[in-house]
Amino acid sequence: MQTAVFRCDFFQTHVNYHWRQTMKRRLFGNSISTLAAALCMAVGLISMPATADTKLRVFSGGQNQRPDLMRKLFDSYQAKNPGVTIDIETGGATSELQRQYLSTVLNAKDTAIDIYMIDIVNPSQYFNAGWLEPLDSYVGGAQALKPYLPVYSQANLVNGKVAAMPAFADAMFMYYRKDLLEKHGIKEPKTWDELAASAKKVLDAEKNPNLQGLSIQGAPIEGAVCTFLLPYWSQGKQFNDAAGKLTLDKDTAVKGLDMWLKLVDSGVMKKNIAEVTTPITVNEFKAGQVLFAINWGFAWDVFKDAADSQVKGKVGVMPLPAMAGGKSATCVGGWQWAVSAFSKNKQAAADLVKFMSTPETSKFLAVEGSLLPVFQSVYTDAAVLAQAPWFKDAANVIIAGQARPISSQYGQVSDVVRTNTNAALARTKTPAEAVADIDSRLTRVMR
Amino acid sequence: MNLWTSARLRLFAAVWIVFNGVFPVLWILFTSLKPEAELVQKPITWWPHSPTLMHYQHAFTEQPLLHYLGNSLIVASLSTVLSLIVATGAAYAIARLNLRYRQWILTAIVASSMFPLIALLVPIFEIMRSLGLLNTYTALILPYTVLNLPVCTLVLVSFFQSIPRDLENAAMIDGCSRIGALWHVVIPLAAPGVFTAGILAFVNAWDEFLLALSLNASAAMRTAPVGIAMYQGEYTFPWPLISAALIVTIIPVALLIALFQERVIGGLTQGGLKG
Amino acid sequence: MRSWRDPSEKTLALLLLAPAFFLIALIVIYPVGKLIYTSLFDMQLSGGARALDFVGLRNFEDALKDKEFWHAARNTLLITVVTVPGALVVGLGLALLANLPFRYKWVVRLSLLLPWALPLSFCGLIFAWFFHTDYGIVNDVLRMLGAPEPTMWLLNPTWAMAAICLTIIWKTSSFMALILLAGLQMIPRSLYEAAQVDGATRWQQFWQVTLPLLVPSIVVALIFRTLTALQTFDIPYTMTKGGPGSSTETLAMLIHKTTIDYLDLGYGSALAVFMFLMSMLVTAVYLRQIGKQA
Repeated sequence: MQTAVFRCDFFQTHVNYHWRQTMKRRLFGNSISTLAAALCMAVGLISMPATADTKLRVFSGGQNQRPDLMRKLFDSYQAKNPGVTIDIETGGATSELQRQYLSTVLNAKDTAIDIYMIDIVNPSQYFNAGWLEPLDSYVGGAQALKPYLPVYSQANLVNGKVAAMPAFADAMFMYYRKDLLEKHGIKEPKTWDELAASAKKVLDAEKNPNLQGLSIQGAPIEGAVCTFLLPYWSQGKQFNDAAGKLTLDKDTAVKGLDMWLKLVDSGVMKKNIAEVTTPITVNEFKAGQVLFAINWGFAWDVFKDAADSQVKGKVGVMPLPAMAGGKSATCVGGWQWAVSAFSKNKQAAADLVKFMSTPETSKFLAVEGSLLPVFQSVYTDAAVLAQAPWFKDAANVIIAGQARPISSQYGQVSDVVRTNTNAALARTKTPAEAVADIDSRLTRVMR
Repeated sequence: MNLWTSARLRLFAAVWIVFNGVFPVLWILFTSLKPEAELVQKPITWWPHSPTLMHYQHAFTEQPLLHYLGNSLIVASLSTVLSLIVATGAAYAIARLNLRYRQWILTAIVASSMFPLIALLVPIFEIMRSLGLLNTYTALILPYTVLNLPVCTLVLVSFFQSIPRDLENAAMIDGCSRIGALWHVVIPLAAPGVFTAGILAFVNAWDEFLLALSLNASAAMRTAPVGIAMYQGEYTFPWPLISAALIVTIIPVALLIALFQERVIGGLTQGGLKG
Repeated sequence: MRSWRDPSEKTLALLLLAPAFFLIALIVIYPVGKLIYTSLFDMQLSGGARALDFVGLRNFEDALKDKEFWHAARNTLLITVVTVPGALVVGLGLALLANLPFRYKWVVRLSLLLPWALPLSFCGLIFAWFFHTDYGIVNDVLRMLGAPEPTMWLLNPTWAMAAICLTIIWKTSSFMALILLAGLQMIPRSLYEAAQVDGATRWQQFWQVTLPLLVPSIVVALIFRTLTALQTFDIPYTMTKGGPGSSTETLAMLIHKTTIDYLDLGYGSALAVFMFLMSMLVTAVYLRQIGKQA
């Protein structure tokens, strides 16, 4: 049987016991585990019956992916399936660190981890690299993805195969200061022009030099890809077609970037918007220095509950404004569960993945952690709405949301788009130059 | 008394050096005492207006920081000792023994640091995996030794070379073997070099991030720098918390430096030669 | 006279060198071999096609034609040319100052080495914060001195590069100072006394006693400073992530991006081989200096 060694993350109940076990095992048990692994391989175990003593190791990201809630779910699974033990590995607190770690580990075909929680942009790239086990035979084919929100069924279906199962959803929302808008008699803006006008009105009236009209992410981080795509999608264009070929409409893209720059020039956004990362937007809004802010779903709880939040009870959430004559568009995020292609316990792992992507699990995560559900029905569940009333409107936002380009070369796509967006916002390139660069480099990559 | 050695120059020197080295660390210290809300105040505050120790408490409770420090200590110490032993031997052979390809051997050792670690990361991971050494102390000790070998060897070679051969010859004529001469004569005289190499190796190993992230990723075997990176989240970057963890991580190294600086730098007040 | 052709000497030499070579073979030679091997293939993990194409030197040709490669190489060389002499000068200055007799020597020496002790991975973040437009102390000091507008340091390619070089010099001058200070302490005081008796001024003492005897230490310090400068990764990566745009991207960052993000191992390996060749070229000169000493 697999006797690979496990460590838990920082949760007290498991920490001491496992560490001591770990130390002992690691110092004296390397040879034993190697031998055991060899035996396992000799017996040729690919799928093991779950009734056997199985240990699964799950890589579940960092803090913001709520390993504490996952731990509770795993405990309940363990209770229902005696013989299965699950350990959590938290590595890579950020997208970059995770990518770093996963690239190294999966590249070397490490068998230690059975299940990975991956970002919505990764299934295509990792599946094509041969790192993810196709789940069709375990979940009943591609139709298993039908019950989920359309954007997630799409993102997890790679080359017609199920690459991963959705865990929880996320999207970019527009947070705003309800109190300030009410004070100045302004309604929720529906277009960017309306937003600019509203912001100017409030800024001029408040005369607060520290108040910003709008905060978005302009630093060369993953979020900047969304910054580029939001006004682009809003004008009704697509970045790529279903086959993955680049369909960039350069004029539309330039108009989008110009829109952001106009907001900087008119004083609605601060001049160094290209330095702003997600945490900075959150912290500044939380301190009451921002009127409108674009951010992910987690921010709601932060604004509402954080001890040092200056904006408790003053925050509203709305869908993103549209470009003139266009529709509201938002960037969808979210996390998925995937089984490692090198796992020694694929059947057991797939069973766990199935459990973690049921509506009940989705409801649990929504109620306990305000993690957006991947099932439409859960949004209107009474218990969920009692905890997070804003979910009622959130459902429509996510349904109308779009996923970032699904490409087997997403790493490169992301890099090209985010560095050019950053360059445009920092004014080291004109929007036209930035878009031209994106076009020329990605035409090759997205064919 | 020459003007240059006056107290004024020494004061200037001391202030400059202390400011240069301590200021950023002081800044981190202040940040670790500020509540998070104070960080987004404008204009920024230097001295914490409402200092708090809660971040230090959180640093230890949110993650097993003490455990990470222990791992770092073990890995750094062992790899330093190993580096020094191997480097001393190699440096002595190069500096003193009559080898034909001495120059090439030294070049080869130094050349091993000419490859960026990024590029070697995956093959090293594969080696460790196939040896079953992943998530062990050995997995980090071996590469750290190799990473520090070029610096240590080169430092020791230059120190050995500046010690005149006569001293060893004298010892050997008196009946010492070569190794004996190495141990009793050369190393003590090159003590500043040995301790310099030791500190460099230790600090390098203590602060190394990339290999530690990939090879010893499990929570029980993480080293401090990797552990500190775990305080951040996808959407959050708790500066005060991370600053507190950084201060805690720097303290052991600072202590070590404070303890050994005399050996490193104050070793030879008399000089190697008499007359 | 003892015979220097003693055969036991050779055995001793081999014994002393064996551990070093064993370790290097394991951790460096095998991975480098794999690296060179990979660089001859078109190995793109996310391309879908899992079959490996042997492409010979095509990756290298592609690199030479790649605008991004030349840009990154130029940035790397710029950083090297600025920070190596910079760290040497600052480090030498610090070492000379630290060599003065102090009452509380340990305070001075600890401060000298603290920059070195700060983990590299966080150094960039901290200095990025110092240079931040809104929250940085640099702009705060300028504001107190009366500057009208805060400067966006890291959003300007030139200033961002300057800030990166400053940070690198700050951190690495500590390393240089350590090595130079140890070298300074090895110089016997008797030589200074003799020079003083001969009527040399302090300045002349520096040029004729200190500097010549310090050359071995300087060369050692320079070699490693140069090698690490060519491999600069952590500080620009954490400070600007290569921004604004990709104007501060170094060669090591490009290799990192190609290997980890793009999963293009063949091309990434070829870039790494180029970096090795650059390093080899630049340090050949230094090592000849050491050879002359021996």
